[in-house]
Amino acid sequence: MQSEMKIDMPAQHKKMSLKAIVRDAGIGIALLVLILIFSITTEHFLAPNNITNILTQITINLILAVGLTFVILIAGIDLSVGSVLAFACVVAGKVITIEGLDANTAIFLAVIASLLAGTLCGLLNGLISAYWGLPSFIITLGMLNIARGGALHISEAQTIYSFPEQFNDFGSASLFGIPVVFLVALLLVGIAGFVLHKTVFGRMIYGIGNNEEAVRLAGHPVFWYKVMAYTICGLMAGIAGIVYMARLNISSPIAGIGFELNAIAAVIIGGTSLMGGRGSVYGTLLGAFIIGVLANGLILLGLNDFMRQMITGVVIIVAVVLDHYREKMTTGS
Amino acid sequence: MTMLKNIGSLMLIASLCSGVAYAEEKPVVGLIMKSLANEFFRDMLEGTKEHEKSRGDYVLKAVGMQNETDFQSQINAVENFITQEVDIIVVAPADSRAMIRPLKKAIEAGIVVINFDVSLDADAKKKQNLELAFVGPDNRSGAKLAGVALANKLGAGGKVVIIEGNPGADNAIERKKGFMDAIEEHDLELLASSTAHWETEEANSVFSNMLTANPDIQGVMAANDSMAIGVIKALEAAGRAKDIQVVAFDNIPAVGPMLADGRLLATVDQFGRDMAANAIEKGLAVHRGGPELSGWIKTDIKLVEASK
Amino acid sequence: MLAASIETLATSKENNDSRILSVKNLCKNFGGVKALQGVNFDLVKGETHALVGENGAGKSTLTKILTGVYHYDDGDIILKDNIYKPNSPKSAKQSGIQVVHQEFNLLTYLSIAENICFESLPKTKLGTLDKKKMHQRARLAMDTVGLGDIEVTTKISELGIAHRQLVEIARALEFKSDILILDEPTATLTQREVEKLFTILEKIKHSGVTVVFISHHLNEVFNICDRVTIFRNGKTITTKEIKDTNPQDVVSLMVGKALEQVMAQQSNQKHFGSIALEVKNLVIPQSPNAEGINFCVRKGEIVGIAGLVGAGRTEILRTIFALQEKISGQVLIDGLPVEFKNPRDAVNARLAFVTEDRKDEGLILDMSIATNSSLASISQVSNAGLMDFEKENQLAADFAKKLGLRFGKLKDNVASLSGGNQQKVVLAKWLSTNPKLLMLDEPTRGVDVGAKAEIYSILRSLALDGMALIVVSSELPELMTLCDRILVLSNHQVTGELEQQSFSQEEILQLAYKNM
Repeated sequence: MQSEMKIDMPAQHKKMSLKAIVRDAGIGIALLVLILIFSITTEHFLAPNNITNILTQITINLILAVGLTFVILIAGIDLSVGSVLAFACVVAGKVITIEGLDANTAIFLAVIASLLAGTLCGLLNGLISAYWGLPSFIITLGMLNIARGGALHISEAQTIYSFPEQFNDFGSASLFGIPVVFLVALLLVGIAGFVLHKTVFGRMIYGIGNNEEAVRLAGHPVFWYKVMAYTICGLMAGIAGIVYMARLNISSPIAGIGFELNAIAAVIIGGTSLMGGRGSVYGTLLGAFIIGVLANGLILLGLNDFMRQMITGVVIIVAVVLDHYREKMTTGS
Repeated sequence: MTMLKNIGSLMLIASLCSGVAYAEEKPVVGLIMKSLANEFFRDMLEGTKEHEKSRGDYVLKAVGMQNETDFQSQINAVENFITQEVDIIVVAPADSRAMIRPLKKAIEAGIVVINFDVSLDADAKKKQNLELAFVGPDNRSGAKLAGVALANKLGAGGKVVIIEGNPGADNAIERKKGFMDAIEEHDLELLASSTAHWETEEANSVFSNMLTANPDIQGVMAANDSMAIGVIKALEAAGRAKDIQVVAFDNIPAVGPMLADGRLLATVDQFGRDMAANAIEKGLAVHRGGPELSGWIKTDIKLVEASK
Repeated sequence: MLAASIETLATSKENNDSRILSVKNLCKNFGGVKALQGVNFDLVKGETHALVGENGAGKSTLTKILTGVYHYDDGDIILKDNIYKPNSPKSAKQSGIQVVHQEFNLLTYLSIAENICFESLPKTKLGTLDKKKMHQRARLAMDTVGLGDIEVTTKISELGIAHRQLVEIARALEFKSDILILDEPTATLTQREVEKLFTILEKIKHSGVTVVFISHHLNEVFNICDRVTIFRNGKTITTKEIKDTNPQDVVSLMVGKALEQVMAQQSNQKHFGSIALEVKNLVIPQSPNAEGINFCVRKGEIVGIAGLVGAGRTEILRTIFALQEKISGQVLIDGLPVEFKNPRDAVNARLAFVTEDRKDEGLILDMSIATNSSLASISQVSNAGLMDFEKENQLAADFAKKLGLRFGKLKDNVASLSGGNQQKVVLAKWLSTNPKLLMLDEPTRGVDVGAKAEIYSILRSLALDGMALIVVSSELPELMTLCDRILVLSNHQVTGELEQQSFSQEEILQLAYKNM
């Protein structure tokens, strides 16, 4: 029995990851279909330049969605990510334009400031909703307003501009045709995947999403794990803020309005359950791609704004419904 | 509930009585702005505050909105100003139809109403039997100025795209019309037109995709400067900054450097900072017994061109 | 009275006319799984017939076939001389077969009358609801189940669980059924309520309704049933007259000899060590008393806590485990006072708590056996915060083997396991922390008899290894089988403490009712 077990284990492991791949591939198939459609119907879709564009365009949404994956996995939600992005962006903008700093110091301080600002907002979201056990929906809705108001206040509603050249260069740099900012996002996906699937913390995130009480009774500090999830989400919004600045070379207090909805859509399309406990950050990556490819392809098709909006809505719903059936199929067998 | 409301309004009136007593001689001006998150209005409010200080013969009460389309709060603001018995209401409507009824109520209450920035819908005004002058810039001719500047640079047959503002917003509609006027008069070719909701990042994405679909674009007309910034970043990323020209609208400080080095061909200044102050001047004149205003009192607009 | 009725039954058995239902060689497959593979039994009009067997033996599948939820693949069902093949629950009802499920199907915010008449609400000529008629019908049904004193306009939400159960039965009876199937009707009831239910069942039976009684509680079966059919592995083993058999025989037929082994272990000599847990003057928030509770548990000892629902049994365990705050008093572990702020502290002090509610508090149902097994001992299977999956699987496999867990793969979700095996995973979770004190609240709730015996045997061997155990249970036979000492609580006070040689059901019940 014992030895049998041991022999069995590597095989089990393989199967497990294989099943995970099949599971994630479900939404991947939807993505491939979209890519196929656009490759046939539009002329430039597969052009290297366009692929670079798509990668650039999904970067910010992807970074926000990675953070949201943590929060949604514990059955929470963070509506404030778009505003926190703006807040972090404006704080960093103020720091980077301080007069008399040399460029490198300014950039360094700005990055730190942005990450801190985002982390702080996330930490507050987590502390407040976890401590009083309040619905994160309403707490983060409050934070949405606080962060947006903060961004407008700090910037006096002015767009902040004229950043150091090396900072701007970073935003538009690319490696073998892949935008560096996208590589940053991809790195974050990898780190998040590692954390979620290979660490105790990740295990706890899934556990809390499935049954918080059981995890608490097993002697784990559920409170801190929850706070951590929101803090990571805030940190990601801070990173997204810096990326926004580097890409567009401005800090705008009205940046990121409505971004939370696209990010949530990416997470859910990627197969993460709004009820928590189920899903993965790799699915989120695919979800972000679906949204980005769709936005890009529909413009290439030359559709008007309103048609595009409608089709985007339809695709979101179809993707989630299909995912529901696929999930049923895989667990049913 | 009604009980509470009654108590609330009683308290409001009570508090107002003291306010009115304080401002017995100076007329009270209620200023209703659009979103103060928009730096254009924010700047305008600053200009108005300076104006109040320098004139010193009126009291300013300013209200801003949550966002560009929050006309519900504007209606509430008008009603509150009526209750507060202000002398003049100066309003930049968030919705050109929804605001007509409450403003009519204000006029019937003897308040001088000045409409600025965005004109109320002419048909709706007629239906509601409302005579109201409009003090504001001509967004359409402003946009046309920018469009013509682009046309002159490109010559007839130039291929252009338009990046629009929020669908349905009056200034977005007017600016698009102005761009279209320039396109038609100078025989430009419009390849595509899409909204980016006034926003930099969205404009950047939308325009990148347009450029992929239409690599032969020669010129871009952006309905505001924020979107133009996103467009210019996209051009730089694509290495096309040299051969594609951009014009925009608003003249915010952030585009200063772009005008300086020619990345932005031209933008339009409508002197937003003074716009509300001008409207207040007009209102004060009427309040003092000056002639009633009518029609469209146009304010200054000016094309600002690249220095290179 | 009872004896007489059984006698008439016995004589009527030869008479084929009184046979209301016979099931012959019934088979049912779900994909590759053979759920039923040869079920044979018959029902005699007016009898109370028990179906017993472990979970998964086929009782619920049979019930679902009889009530039209599933179709059968092979075999025959003859209902009153006709082939019976219901294609929907509705057609089953029309044929006179009704079931009262374990889970309630009542509409909580509607009245009793509306619930009882819900399936065919009486209408007036105008097509509106005929309230008068509805109330009459409901009144009648409620009287039959002995709830004559409850207004039929009362909302279900205002009723206790026992009354809800009876309303379910009333609803089933309202539909003029010939055969009434009760699936675990006593699972949520107290002793007194059970007795009341039985009186009512007796009445129903005399009105000519055949009652099919599905239960894990053999004492109940022997109390009220005329005949018993035993299921094992999707087959019926035999049908016996109750008067010709006894619980031991029935259990042996169901599972074999496992339970007897536990009983044998009991008689082994025991060594109790030093005091592992001592509770001094513990007052919990729910207690109305100023003076607290005192007791202790020694190493190697299994202490049972008996008492009625609401006597404070569960709450004491939850307080010790810091799931709720105490008002006053002291908890000592190994003689040293401890102040736990949260379950984390309790776990760190090597306490373990198998809660009453396995699904909501014990397990993460949609996660794997391995994940659940290592949930409380994750530091053992991780390194600096990184999971060591090989170690985790090893740990889960070890405990699966030790506890005799029946499972497919370690990565299967625990939701796929039977109740007994789920409970073993809960035990694995806690035993992997190597606890000094193991507290168990209703450890065999929803666990079939076979697994029950195994769990008893596991707990006993833990005690023999020197662990201290506390068991809270509503089943007195369970406590009497398992424990070395039983503490009886009545309204948050210890009203008695019995040593093994003086265990008696009557005495425990008397003590439990003492402060009521």
